[in-house]
Amino acid sequence: MVTKVLCVAEKPSIAKAVANHLAGGQVTVRNVTGNQYLKNYCFHYNFPTWGPCDVNMTSVFGHLQSHDFADQYRYWKSCDPSQLFEARIETSVDESNKPVAKNIETQARYSSILYIWTDCDREGEHIGAEIRDVAVRSNPRLGERGKTVRARFSNIERAHIINAARSPVPLDEAQANAVSSRIELDLRTGASFTRNLTMSLQGMLPQQGDGQKSQVISYGSCQFPTLGFVVERYFRVRNFVPEQFWSIKVMHEKNGIKVNFRWARNHLFDRMVVVVLFERCLAAKKAKVDKVQTKPTSKWKPLPLTTVELQKCGSRFLRMDSHRVMQVAESLYTKGWISYPRTETDQFDRGMNLQALVQKQTQSRTWGQFAQGLMNGGFAQPRDGRNNDKAHPPIHPVNFVEQTALSAEEAKVYEFVARRFLACCSQDAKGSKTEIGISYGPETFNASGLTVLERNYLDVYPYDRWTSSQELPQFRAGEEFEPTEARIQDGKTSPPGYLTEPELIALMDANGIGTDATMAEHINKIKERKYVDTRPRGRRPRQDDNDDEASDYEAPAEHEAEPARGRGRGRGRGRGAAGRGSAAANGRNSGTSGVQEFIPTTLGVALIEGYDNMGFEISLAKPFLRKEMELKMKAICEGRKTRHEVTQETIEQYREVYMRTQQRMQVLKDSVRRYVTNQA
Amino acid sequence: MATAPAEAEVKATVVRYLASKNVPPTQAWLRDFMPSIRLNTPMVALQKTALFRILSTDLTVAVQPPSPNALFPANVASPEVKDRKLNGQITVQVLDIEDIGHSCWSQVENLEAIERGEMTKGREVIRVVDDELNTDQNRTPANNPSISSGPHKLLIQDAKGTKAFAFESEFVTGIGVSQLSIGGKLVLNDALVARGVIMLDRRAVEVLGGKVEAWDKKWRADRKESLKRKAGVTDGAGGGT
Repeated sequence: MVTKVLCVAEKPSIAKAVANHLAGGQVTVRNVTGNQYLKNYCFHYNFPTWGPCDVNMTSVFGHLQSHDFADQYRYWKSCDPSQLFEARIETSVDESNKPVAKNIETQARYSSILYIWTDCDREGEHIGAEIRDVAVRSNPRLGERGKTVRARFSNIERAHIINAARSPVPLDEAQANAVSSRIELDLRTGASFTRNLTMSLQGMLPQQGDGQKSQVISYGSCQFPTLGFVVERYFRVRNFVPEQFWSIKVMHEKNGIKVNFRWARNHLFDRMVVVVLFERCLAAKKAKVDKVQTKPTSKWKPLPLTTVELQKCGSRFLRMDSHRVMQVAESLYTKGWISYPRTETDQFDRGMNLQALVQKQTQSRTWGQFAQGLMNGGFAQPRDGRNNDKAHPPIHPVNFVEQTALSAEEAKVYEFVARRFLACCSQDAKGSKTEIGISYGPETFNASGLTVLERNYLDVYPYDRWTSSQELPQFRAGEEFEPTEARIQDGKTSPPGYLTEPELIALMDANGIGTDATMAEHINKIKERKYVDTRPRGRRPRQDDNDDEASDYEAPAEHEAEPARGRGRGRGRGRGAAGRGSAAANGRNSGTSGVQEFIPTTLGVALIEGYDNMGFEISLAKPFLRKEMELKMKAICEGRKTRHEVTQETIEQYREVYMRTQQRMQVLKDSVRRYVTNQA
Repeated sequence: MATAPAEAEVKATVVRYLASKNVPPTQAWLRDFMPSIRLNTPMVALQKTALFRILSTDLTVAVQPPSPNALFPANVASPEVKDRKLNGQITVQVLDIEDIGHSCWSQVENLEAIERGEMTKGREVIRVVDDELNTDQNRTPANNPSISSGPHKLLIQDAKGTKAFAFESEFVTGIGVSQLSIGGKLVLNDALVARGVIMLDRRAVEVLGGKVEAWDKKWRADRKESLKRKAGVTDGAGGGT
């Protein structure tokens, strides 16, 4: 008898693509009653593990099960919100997912192998476990060892899929458990704090127009710290006090070239001291060259692309917010053009045939020639970053596709991924840097000049800039000269800008808020909840001379802003709903950027200020609690902690904060009164 | 059995030791100090105690300059004098210190971040992220914001109470807002004065340390407010967080 194998993918598009790769065109497609998007793809395939098989490939639409409190707790006023920390949670299949579950149950009955094809990450592992739970209900034998397996794959390219089909691995229970724990914690903490906040504060908020229901004030353990960053920056901008500083400028003209020397002290905030030092410079009359050094320098090519980087670059160079970029990348992945876009890995495995991937890009009319150059000897192994999630390679193009075959947004993201990949496989840009150091009285000054000798990766990666500076005239060590001009210049510190999306993502990443896969979602959430507004960053005045800008703040990289860009739509991880490219204006990627900045709403400010003013050791507006939770998820995945331990520990921490919040609710109310209702 | 050395002998040894450290004590200080010690304590320990105590006392009360050369000239702070050298060694104490390499407001922000507990281990909030996109290999990592990197401007005072500003013209170990306390002692060595500002480089200054507890405590308590004032914050503006 022929073995029957039931394959289940995470979404219909993946089921379809995998079925076609495996079947080589010989596929029978059957509809499933109850859901027009759900199909069963039937074909024959010879698995090395099980021999010739009848295969039925189907899918789910992301998570199959939902979790909610038992009836007696479900309604807002049915219990004290603090009871939700221990209330019984029921797991069920939603109405919309019932046909999907029924299909799996029916198909599982006749199958001896369950083959899971969900995305290879934590959520995917958990969805795989849900699928198995449903299948085992109708066919308990699938619960036996070796009867449920999963495919390990990171892109939808044919050879890769066939290879994955031939090497099944067990489901990773630890990862599935971590997600179970996360789901439970999010539900309990989210529901208890949200109900408490809403019931305590709702009456104080202005009713929304048209007799709509009053606003829900939601709490999420990632949302609040994310909002916290936005609010913190907002206050830094608002409270900023400009201060005057003074600097000594030295210019010397030689061979018709005016060389500006930078003061080694940059600038000081004390006029008297600067004047005293300046007088001593002048008294010395002559400056002496201490050092002339010319040495090779290089601008490093970028690291292999991770999700966080893709999101940051998306906001910065592609005028898409992180949420939208991820949707588009997801769609490119589903179509088999790029690898799995959720990865922390920034190093390519040594065994990967990168040149074969470069070869595919030689077809491009825009960057094909560059790729050809790499094939003709220009190839260099990419740099290794520090992260490896051991699940997926860095994001890279797996196949070549014409820009015209893609939507405008897809084309932009694909171009970025392809160019980034080729840049990684190219050489660092090379240059030569000359530094001249002089002493003038008691003070030292420097001038430097850069000559770019080989652009290398810069030719394919217009998002980076590195250009030659003005050429310096010859100076000799020991040479003395009387500077053409020396003067004191003053300037003022300028405020930092409001937080931009790339900055916010970087802060979330550095502080352990969310995973690379969920950050965009949390950012989207605080917009949806009207805790923040976004607007395109306006043009900021630039001074002629960079030295005059305050060094107190890290100036963001972008130089100018562009008008509004498309907003991401949709929720969740975009599972099941492939991103549709909307026809947005498609500008050339010139390296300049438009980027959105976040400004908190009055409600956003009130919430964060309120929590901060409660003066707890552990503020919900700060990242610590959530960071700890993310670390514990990792511990579950690595087998260092059990799901139960983590859930208990974390619940206790949040319960304590809840109790104290309850005691000091007046502080939060005062804050809302102060910022929202203006009755201070 | 060794008998305890005579008080006069102990006193002479202590005075010699303190003088060798450039803090020769006044009679008044000795009158306070001597009754507080046990004469049979080992001499080395006594010397250390004496030094610690005198460094914790107001210089103008505790130290007797050995000669007028160990004091500032009366017009030391005069901007009329273009430059001059203060020959020999002069012991001074610190009355104020500020980091003039950074704006007052950025220092206020750092203090507030510390108040919020963001520098406490396990509670850190990372506020500055080095961006891969902007990083080239020549960049240096950001400093720890709780350590002032200067350069610093100090207000110092000699044993007779004459005050002058000093500028840390090159990095000197031990000079910093968190390393140096108010009332801490320095020894100047052939220091240069330009327009009334004493130049402190590594050759011209030795940091003895110490602090006058009450002064230091008050100075630290007032620091945020005084930085705000210097930044030009008027009442009601700024610092709302």
